[in-house]
Amino acid sequence: MKKTIPLLIVILGGLIWVAWAFSPHYILQEVFYNQFYLPWAYASSPFAMLLGVLSLTMMHSNKIKTRGPKWQYSYFFFGSFIITCLAGFIGGIQKGSLFMWMFENVQMPMSATMFSLLAFYMASAAYKAFRARSPEATVLLVAAIVVMLAQVPLGVQISKHLPSISQWILDVPNLASKRGIMLGVGLGSVATSLKILLGIERSYLGGGD
Amino acid sequence: MNIFERMQKLDRRWIYIVVALAIIIPLMIPYDSDNVTTPPTENLYQMIDSFAGREDRAILMSFYHDAATMPELFPMEVAILRHCFERNVKVFTLTWFPAGAPIIDYAINSVKEEFPDIQSGVDYCNFGYKPQAFAMVLGMGDNIANTMNTDAEGRKLENLPIMKGINNYSEMNLAIEFSGSSAGGMWITYARPKYGLNVAVGVTAVMAADMYPYLQSGQLIGMLSGLKGAAEYEKLVDIFAAYRDPKIDYSIKVDEDGNQILPGRPFGREILEDDSSKKLSLITTQTKAKFSMDEFAAFSAKYPENMALLNSLRSLEDDMVIIDVTQITPEQRSQMGETMYRELDRLTRNTLYKFKVARIGMNAQSVAHIMIIVFIVLGNIGYFIQKARQAKN
Amino acid sequence: MSFELFSNLVGAFFTLCIFSFLYKDNPFYQAAEQMLVGISLGYGLVYTYNRVFVPYVWQTIVIKHQFVLIIPAIMGILYLFRFSRKLGWLSRYPIAFSMMGVGMGVPMGIHASILVQMRQAMVPIESVNLFLIFIGTIAVLLYFFFSKAHSGAYGKFVNVGKWYMMIGFGASFGLTVMARISLLIGRIQFLVNDVFGILK
Repeated sequence: MKKTIPLLIVILGGLIWVAWAFSPHYILQEVFYNQFYLPWAYASSPFAMLLGVLSLTMMHSNKIKTRGPKWQYSYFFFGSFIITCLAGFIGGIQKGSLFMWMFENVQMPMSATMFSLLAFYMASAAYKAFRARSPEATVLLVAAIVVMLAQVPLGVQISKHLPSISQWILDVPNLASKRGIMLGVGLGSVATSLKILLGIERSYLGGGD
Repeated sequence: MNIFERMQKLDRRWIYIVVALAIIIPLMIPYDSDNVTTPPTENLYQMIDSFAGREDRAILMSFYHDAATMPELFPMEVAILRHCFERNVKVFTLTWFPAGAPIIDYAINSVKEEFPDIQSGVDYCNFGYKPQAFAMVLGMGDNIANTMNTDAEGRKLENLPIMKGINNYSEMNLAIEFSGSSAGGMWITYARPKYGLNVAVGVTAVMAADMYPYLQSGQLIGMLSGLKGAAEYEKLVDIFAAYRDPKIDYSIKVDEDGNQILPGRPFGREILEDDSSKKLSLITTQTKAKFSMDEFAAFSAKYPENMALLNSLRSLEDDMVIIDVTQITPEQRSQMGETMYRELDRLTRNTLYKFKVARIGMNAQSVAHIMIIVFIVLGNIGYFIQKARQAKN
Repeated sequence: MSFELFSNLVGAFFTLCIFSFLYKDNPFYQAAEQMLVGISLGYGLVYTYNRVFVPYVWQTIVIKHQFVLIIPAIMGILYLFRFSRKLGWLSRYPIAFSMMGVGMGVPMGIHASILVQMRQAMVPIESVNLFLIFIGTIAVLLYFFFSKAHSGAYGKFVNVGKWYMMIGFGASFGLTVMARISLLIGRIQFLVNDVFGILK
């Protein structure tokens, strides 16, 4: 019973959505979509954010209680979270407020830097792990080197044909392989969506009764 | 341990130092280089340029990313905004990520500084952060003002001058999505089949290779891939949209035949492939405005009251009249007026740092790519020699 | 010292805290990492409250008196029961409501990612490139068809797909290297230009 009603909601609602995709009828486009689905989707969506807040809060408070590894740093999490929330709710979110200052000068640089660490790891992996162990790996490395050289201004100095060779690699073999993979992925995701729509796939409901 | 074994076991922190130096040094020594433009970038440029000066056309820029991918996507966004402000194309901006909202503000404010005539609500409109992307994408196909309701500053859209002539996707006919992942998916799947919207993407280079099937099928009309795409677009804007002909008076909006006079010039392949166009997109600082004799005559005819001042500033070099803007004193600048000074400054073809960030970055990218290729080759050489030795033993 | 320089210095400090991880794991990096998570979460919460909850829930229910929207608001709160062992089944309702949209994803997905792509793969073969794309697409598709053994002439044809994929992945790898380095270039441009003011 606890799984049946949500399952029925998905199946019936999903079938109405399929009809929506094909039919311009007033009941589907205006009554179902504009007057029912949209306001309900807007009204139920902000609470999902609380899930993330609760999950992280529980994890860090458990860590502090049980003195897990690096438990002291969880205080930094709580401190920054509480200060950000207070700055946002009390000071407002307009430009120039403490809330936006913290986001623009603390969060944004750190978030960008986290991703930029990957460049170092990539260089280290290029030296230690990228080996042309088989003919296929050699072809992969050669294609990569041609594309890498052609992307930069130096490539056209090395050979004026390099940009057009690289463009050919991207336009023909790369396109064919990505298209083949995309068709396979598209068929797979449509099959999974159909299974969800027909109630065969139920993993999104979670385990238990 | 012999040298090859030592090479294989090199501490990775030495590699990190080499990477850092390989990027810091080229960034501190700017030099001119040429980024060859590719068809996906040129197609996007031409499509946006076709909306130049039209009241019934607009583009929509969707900033679907956060600060982590800004180094690749932000220069693209700035270049496109500059193109639109130069060529009077209406721009709408929005984001589906809360973290994207400050990025839109950065981009618009950074470009707007150089265009004092550009106004919010007239030439551009920022919708800011909007939740429920799917609903908005479909709703804008029917009516933009009703779906979006208000802009980021809380003004009702139907009262804004920019909305005159813009109803839905038939007029706001191009959507460009900037994203580090799954760019353009929602637009291609929902908006394009239902409403015929043209879609283009600006992606990080990681995703670029995966987008080629969409380019070939026509679902995407153009694509900017990573820092290179941004550098190519900056070059096109410098050569075409930011170009000023010294002979034309751009303060007159309509000429005698009734045609609109727009700043810049339309895209032309022969101009792009001509060597002289390379001088229009230089990275190093330029201070000299160069005129041919006819161009100088036409330029000085636009400002007859400053003819004597111009003649005092000019010098001749290889049949070209040169005016060095660094020689203009503050008194001379106030005498000639801001309009004439700005026009002279433009004619030096000097690009501000914020409009050539991607091209400077591509110089560092050249060195970094060579470094990575050297690492791959060295690593493989060491590996194969070691393997051969082990096989011999 | 101007406020802008001070802000840039704060940004540079946290940038260097994260970069310090390259040398080794250290307290600065750990603290900065936790602060990143805390501020991101706080930002998301405040923004969602101001831009989603207030206009679409509070104002519609309390000011515009659309009381029927109390039902989806309660349904949204049911998300939180995910953490309860006894009442966890209540969280299935809001999940089911959002999963309804999969019904529309089926026809639109078939059109955009399958039919249009298939149509473009079946154009008249007027040039060598189009022939190569055609062969490559079919070979790659067949490579993943595991119901038939890859042996004999069929196996040789399917092997062509493997080579196409190696070139495709090589191109992706080259572009990935470029992307990662671009991100580092962006950070170093920030440090060199905005903080040290060396480039202008």
